[in-house]
Amino acid sequence: MIHAPTDSSASAAGTSTAYTVFLEDVTVDFDGFRALDIYRFGVFRNELRVVIGPNGAGKTTLCDVISGKTHPSGGRVFFKGMDITHRRDTDIAALGVGRKFQTPTIFPSLTVYENMDLALPGRRRVFQNIFRHESPEAKEKIFNILRRVRLLDLAHCPAGTLSHGQRQWLEISMLMAAEPELLLVDEPAAGLTDAQTDVTAELLLELKGRHTIIVIEHDMEFVRRLNSRVTVLNEGKVLSDGSMEQVQRDPKVIEAYLGR
Amino acid sequence: MISPSSDKTSQPPAAADSDGRIPALPRLNPRVRQLRISAIIAVVALFYILIPVLNSVGAVSDLSVNILGRYLCFAIVALGIDLIWGYAGLLSLCQAFFFCLGGYAIGMFLSLPEGGGQVQKAYNNIPQFFFFNNQSTLPTFWKPFASLPFALAMGILIPAVVAGIFGFFIFRSRVRGVYFAIITQALAWAAYLLFCRNELLLGGTDGLNNFYPPLQHDHHWILGLYFLTAAILGLLYLALFKLTKSRFGRILVAIRDREVRLHFAGYKPYAFKVFAFVIAAVIAAIGGMLYVPQNGIITPGTMAVESSILMVVLVAVGGRGRLWGAIIGALVVRYAYSILSSDMPAMWSFFEGGLFIAVTLLFSNGLVGLWDELEEKMRMRHGGLQLALSVIPLASVLGFVLCEALGIMPKALQQTIATPWSVMPDIPIKFILLAGILISVALARWLVRFIGRPRGSVVVPVSHTAVEEVHA
Repeated sequence: MIHAPTDSSASAAGTSTAYTVFLEDVTVDFDGFRALDIYRFGVFRNELRVVIGPNGAGKTTLCDVISGKTHPSGGRVFFKGMDITHRRDTDIAALGVGRKFQTPTIFPSLTVYENMDLALPGRRRVFQNIFRHESPEAKEKIFNILRRVRLLDLAHCPAGTLSHGQRQWLEISMLMAAEPELLLVDEPAAGLTDAQTDVTAELLLELKGRHTIIVIEHDMEFVRRLNSRVTVLNEGKVLSDGSMEQVQRDPKVIEAYLGR
Repeated sequence: MISPSSDKTSQPPAAADSDGRIPALPRLNPRVRQLRISAIIAVVALFYILIPVLNSVGAVSDLSVNILGRYLCFAIVALGIDLIWGYAGLLSLCQAFFFCLGGYAIGMFLSLPEGGGQVQKAYNNIPQFFFFNNQSTLPTFWKPFASLPFALAMGILIPAVVAGIFGFFIFRSRVRGVYFAIITQALAWAAYLLFCRNELLLGGTDGLNNFYPPLQHDHHWILGLYFLTAAILGLLYLALFKLTKSRFGRILVAIRDREVRLHFAGYKPYAFKVFAFVIAAVIAAIGGMLYVPQNGIITPGTMAVESSILMVVLVAVGGRGRLWGAIIGALVVRYAYSILSSDMPAMWSFFEGGLFIAVTLLFSNGLVGLWDELEEKMRMRHGGLQLALSVIPLASVLGFVLCEALGIMPKALQQTIATPWSVMPDIPIKFILLAGILISVALARWLVRFIGRPRGSVVVPVSHTAVEEVHA
């Protein structure tokens, strides 16, 4: 497969620091199946971007490519103007890309507090972890976040005993504690009750303006609450882009959703 | 993998609205605390006071103390295995190799005249085996081993470097799970074949021996080496206890739980795994260095694949992820091994297999699991029957091993009963008694679990990290 030639403006956009993330001509193939085929996709600094699309549209693959879980078959991925296409997942995370997975991914044997503690920035080397204890500020920070997500009372319970919704919040709290520049939030409202969804939306809106956030979501009500620019993916391609109202009126989007 | 189960007692009611107070760490139940304190005092008194005193007054033979000292060396290795297997989930099948690296380093010192080795003038005052390899002078690489500090340093450094390099390449390429176990087994096998070669000038299959005889025969040496081993075991236990409670220990548990998640949090799990693997290797080597003087010989047979597997069995029987389980498991299995292989040599391998099956089926988290159950029942204020069902198997196994270890098994129980099958050897009454107790308790536990269910089901606490932070 021959890719369309990259025009010079795209390269300039990739290395520009106005964008936190920029994908250029990115393709991902799984055994001949093209899961992702993005010509240009950029998210500005401190922007909250919502990515929606039908099942199998490549939303999670997009997250995988940015966080280094999957390496693209072609094209380039930039983070703050740096080419991270071939960097390892750990290095990308260390650069400031945090991620919440589609299914809540926490450490079940550790307590809620210990999960949060591991998410705090810094102390990523072996010898920083043997003798030093956590500072009072770190403790306060953890408890403050846990208070916000109503997990304070469960701070010393094993995370494996939490309910699904509590695990979702714990993982979002871990992202908040890590304070990465870019947050990739995959389906934060999945499996939550309406009341829980409201709190989740509040949390994300609170982070808006201080972090760059990419939210992947199915729940249209939730997307509407976030009130942000929306990118619609379909069959691995960017189908439409704009405000919620704009993309909802887009005939291509209507066809993609109704055509299934 | 130790999966957390719901532990209703340690979990406060999930309040939707927190009143904003920062919750305190869960407090240890006073009854459990008392139980722990008495157990710790009993164990410390037994190993550091009672046994040495009994030995000094002649009630316990020097041989028994020598054997116990050797088994404590295996307990040291088991501590290291528990760190990497119980906490980080890395099943290493080459710990006996690291054990032998330490053992050979000290063995080289002990073979030389400077270390009290029994050399003869007819053989140029160097270990005899050199002459069978047509070597009449001491090879250059042997010379520095005449110094004890050098031998000690090498005994720690060589396994550390080997484990570091080996671990770096394995863990960096993200080899995990059963593949890791297979690779370590291959390493153990390759090392065994290498050490069997005479060209290595380490004694070939005969290994190193002819050490200073009083090491295993003189009362003072035996007691001294026993004390040294027990002291080092105690110190290593405390050091590892601190380590596993540190943030490093939490990261190891996180690796066991969900290693991939750590990548996306910016950690490099391989660095932590390499470090833990090196620590486990050094601990195994320390065990080996203490073992060889008490054993009087080190051969490549000690690093055979089977010995590494047996070392893992020690931890499995004791129970993973609690450190002291490894120590108890090591003593129980090593004594079972020695009693059975001397009383009924043909039966040992059947027993080893049977033990492994029985532990996984009946007492799935080993002796540690039984203890946890006991603590849980104490906290829940269970009745006498429930307590007995946890105490009896623990007490009978430990009592049996203790009686054997100190050589105070009653004469009546030593008598044998002939079996109707000619292939089976005569079985001493003590085994029948122990097996009878364990089987009937196991049956009773099943009955209670499936029929009776008195006062709630038996809840085994969640994995070690979740259980109370406070240690009595």
